Amino acid sequence: MIDTLKNKAEILRYLGHGNQEIDSITDRLIDESIYEINCLKKEKSIYNFFHIQRWNGEIRLDNSNLRLRGNDIKKHLNKSEICILMAVTLGHDVDTRIRYYEKIDMTKALILDTCATVAIEEVCDRLCKEISNVLVKDNRKLTLRYSPGYGDLPIEIQKEFLGVLGAEKVIGLTASTNSILIPRKSVTAIAGVISTDIEVEENSCLNCNKYSICNFSKGDASCGS
Amino acid sequence: MGVRDYLEEGIIVFDGAMGTILQDKGLKIGEIPEKLNIESPEIIVETHKKYIESGSKIITTNTFGANELKLKNSGYTVEEIIHGAVKNVKKAIGTKNVYIALDIGPIGELLEPMGTLKFEEAYNIFKNQIIQGVKNGVDLILIETMTDLYEAKAAILAAKENSNLPVFCTMSFEKDKRTFTGCSILSMVMVLQGLGVDALGVNCSLGPKELEPIVEEILKISKVPVMVQANAGLPSIVNGKTIFNISPEEFALYGRRFVEKGVRIIGGCCGTTDKHIKSLVNGLDNVLVKEIKYCPINCICTPTNSVIINGVKVIGERINPTGKKAFKDALVKGNIDYILKEAIVQVESGSDILDVNVGLPEIDEEETMVKVIKEIQGVLNIPLQIDSTNPKVIEKGLRIYNGKAIVNSVNGEDKSLDSILPIVKKYGASVIGLTLDERGIPPTALERFKIAEKIVKRAKEYNISEEDIYIDCLTLTAAAQQEGVKETLKAIEMVKGRLKVKTVLGVSNVSFGLPNRELLNKTFLAASIYAGLDLAIINPMNKEMMDTIISSRVLWDEDKGAKEYINSFESIEDKSNSKDTQDIKEDLFNIILKGIKEEAKDATRRLLTYKEPLNIVNEYIIPALDLIGERYENGDIFLPQLIRSAETVKNSFEIIKEDLSIDSKEQISKGKIILATVKGDIHDIGKNIVKVLLENYNYEIIDLGKDVPKEKIVKEAIKNDVKLIGLSALMTTTVKNMEDTIKDLKEENPEFVVMVGGAVLNHDYANMINADFYAKDAREAVNIARKVLG
Repeated sequence: MIDTLKNKAEILRYLGHGNQEIDSITDRLIDESIYEINCLKKEKSIYNFFHIQRWNGEIRLDNSNLRLRGNDIKKHLNKSEICILMAVTLGHDVDTRIRYYEKIDMTKALILDTCATVAIEEVCDRLCKEISNVLVKDNRKLTLRYSPGYGDLPIEIQKEFLGVLGAEKVIGLTASTNSILIPRKSVTAIAGVISTDIEVEENSCLNCNKYSICNFSKGDASCGS
Repeated sequence: MGVRDYLEEGIIVFDGAMGTILQDKGLKIGEIPEKLNIESPEIIVETHKKYIESGSKIITTNTFGANELKLKNSGYTVEEIIHGAVKNVKKAIGTKNVYIALDIGPIGELLEPMGTLKFEEAYNIFKNQIIQGVKNGVDLILIETMTDLYEAKAAILAAKENSNLPVFCTMSFEKDKRTFTGCSILSMVMVLQGLGVDALGVNCSLGPKELEPIVEEILKISKVPVMVQANAGLPSIVNGKTIFNISPEEFALYGRRFVEKGVRIIGGCCGTTDKHIKSLVNGLDNVLVKEIKYCPINCICTPTNSVIINGVKVIGERINPTGKKAFKDALVKGNIDYILKEAIVQVESGSDILDVNVGLPEIDEEETMVKVIKEIQGVLNIPLQIDSTNPKVIEKGLRIYNGKAIVNSVNGEDKSLDSILPIVKKYGASVIGLTLDERGIPPTALERFKIAEKIVKRAKEYNISEEDIYIDCLTLTAAAQQEGVKETLKAIEMVKGRLKVKTVLGVSNVSFGLPNRELLNKTFLAASIYAGLDLAIINPMNKEMMDTIISSRVLWDEDKGAKEYINSFESIEDKSNSKDTQDIKEDLFNIILKGIKEEAKDATRRLLTYKEPLNIVNEYIIPALDLIGERYENGDIFLPQLIRSAETVKNSFEIIKEDLSIDSKEQISKGKIILATVKGDIHDIGKNIVKVLLENYNYEIIDLGKDVPKEKIVKEAIKNDVKLIGLSALMTTTVKNMEDTIKDLKEENPEFVVMVGGAVLNHDYANMINADFYAKDAREAVNIARKVLG
């Protein structure tokens, strides 16, 4: 469930809300959309642990054929020997309903789309927390999530990424020829396993897990979080 | 003896998993298992041999993912892989009497509207695999692990149109009895058996225990043999490896139980080994094969919505240009949004099925039928009735339709029956039979019954079952043929009683030329329902007619406990009591500022009683829009408020335009703009927001949608003589396609002005790809349009 109180602020932030007055209609539409997303979403997730092998400047994952290229992911995983690959989705019903509203009510479409974005991030957070709760027994934890398409990690690995997790069969998640995840409200991500003694790096736009969908990162501005 | 004969006789046992075994033998996760057909054939042959020794009667080729998309970077062609795979099975079989199934799994990319792959592209991908399978001598085609019914349909059509081999098709369900894409068990069975598969069923995703309730449901409704290939239990991940937990013995127990319940084809999926199959075969000793009698179901469906005709249901009639000027205009101009809105309001008014008729002499009916069906099934899950007299249009419509449709219609003429019934059969549709022939509509019930009898007989000759035939006894006009009205009712009774088929009727013709038409219509509707009408073709927005249907469902004991009835009328009372809008009527200017969409139409109508339409535009709408724009730019309001005001203006314009002469419409039009999300990109919410805002300023928007190839954008820009083109892209990878589109546009006509927008763009990037303008948001797009077009 979307935690209404916490996430309404998040939804507003995504909608570009600053300090404007929120009129009663907008407020009602957001509440209705939160309810609707909770009815529509069929959360599914899958993850797996992999040993990291560093090979000629690229990262390989043990017992798989996936290669992670680029400096950013190398940096992201530089303190990890093990990482997780994860994939989560809200399912097709959310997409269908957003398409429907786009035909009759763009305001609702925009708000529902935003609620879905917040909901999928919430699913990711919850999954990572679950994994961390297990890891903490060995004094380990997860780094921030890093997704294909962030920084110089090519988005084109999306299909192979899903293949390594068997995500198509297990959670019904696919990627289009142009590496767009379908269902649309889905996330793939990598997180390193590190010792609890290590501080997780501060957020910058680039290693923010909302980078690809953030309104603020378009220009020079940053959301500041 | 072929597979089909074998299937007549008894139980067929398939093999078990391939992937699981290959991973045990060292195949890395994510590697393409089909490559081993060529690189390590001995492993594949060995695996097949083990299954044959265990008693598998059919061996599946190692070609689950052998399609051109999945093999793209493998270094091998589909032809090479399938050739190698079949060769391996043949080698393993030797001289034994074992059959070869060409394995076909999902393409790995989803079809429109969920994904980007076009239906015909999917068809061609499957066709390529099937042709190779046939060439190499397989005995049957196994389409498996499907989760999208539309994709399964593409595969089955490809198999049936490019081979004469038996086709088995299985889909994968979750515990909630739906596939990942929401397909229900009933919809699967209706569509797959309609398309003429030799066997259907389930595989993968769950173990036999979890599949049992799903299998039981399939067995109740399937006319064709049922197939099950369960996983060896539910998977769990241990030390990074996927483990399945059901032993061969337990697997065999379930297998026997399935067969005792009526399953005819059985094998294993993920996690099963030759040991599971051996145990399964042993466990089937002396098993009694249960003969199943299926009970016929009258059902029309989409993957997620099955309408069972077990009481009176409503077919919405409004997607039809006959006598509707605005609808004709929309068809001619290709204004799909208008047509979609007609569809949406009918669904919201309670239609169960929608009739789709796009017959107009001045348009290409085939192309339009396909377009309208695709658009409707993109946003709605209501089943459709394809309405045309042209067999080519019907075939195009049935092919692209995702589900089981009704065809409207055939009549008693041989020409009509023999041209349309084969198409109905091929695509597994239902059909409406009109009780008229070359002589016209017979006056008496008996003569109409005789035509119905002929239609039913001919349909059966084409192997169309009774449950897929709906007879229309045709409504006559009381003003002209008063004595004929009751003949229709009599004919309905005769058809229902003697032919055992369901009936359908367009009701409202009865009242032509008489006052208070509604009264006659609803009285006749009630009488028809009493006579046995099942499908009423009506305008669902007519409340009196819908109320008649709702009340008749109570009286005929269909609406148990009058639940639907109580809900319908209680909610109306609720609504009338709780107005959350203000009692004091705001003026249009304030309504727009506050974005009270629902009030815009009434306020506009009130103004129109004493003001010229163009004055309303200039005195209320434009000033309100300017103020809203300014407030947005100053950060006084945020995006949802801006859009809502824009939609409020849109509602107001709908009323104003009804009142405007053609001259004035031209006067307020500020020119045409093309909008498109470029090829490869399907993020279009931003583009659609831009569209709403530009429409407010009376720019005529030609919306080409998403994933639009550059050729189409150039073609439409020339065809519509457009000056300004707006392109959207949200991914760095698709900005390249944006750049290519701009290049082609400029080469064609340097006068074309291109504005671009989307999350990954900025001013510099826009300059780099030679766009004329960068619109950071929708408001900016309006400013650009004003600069370029005035």
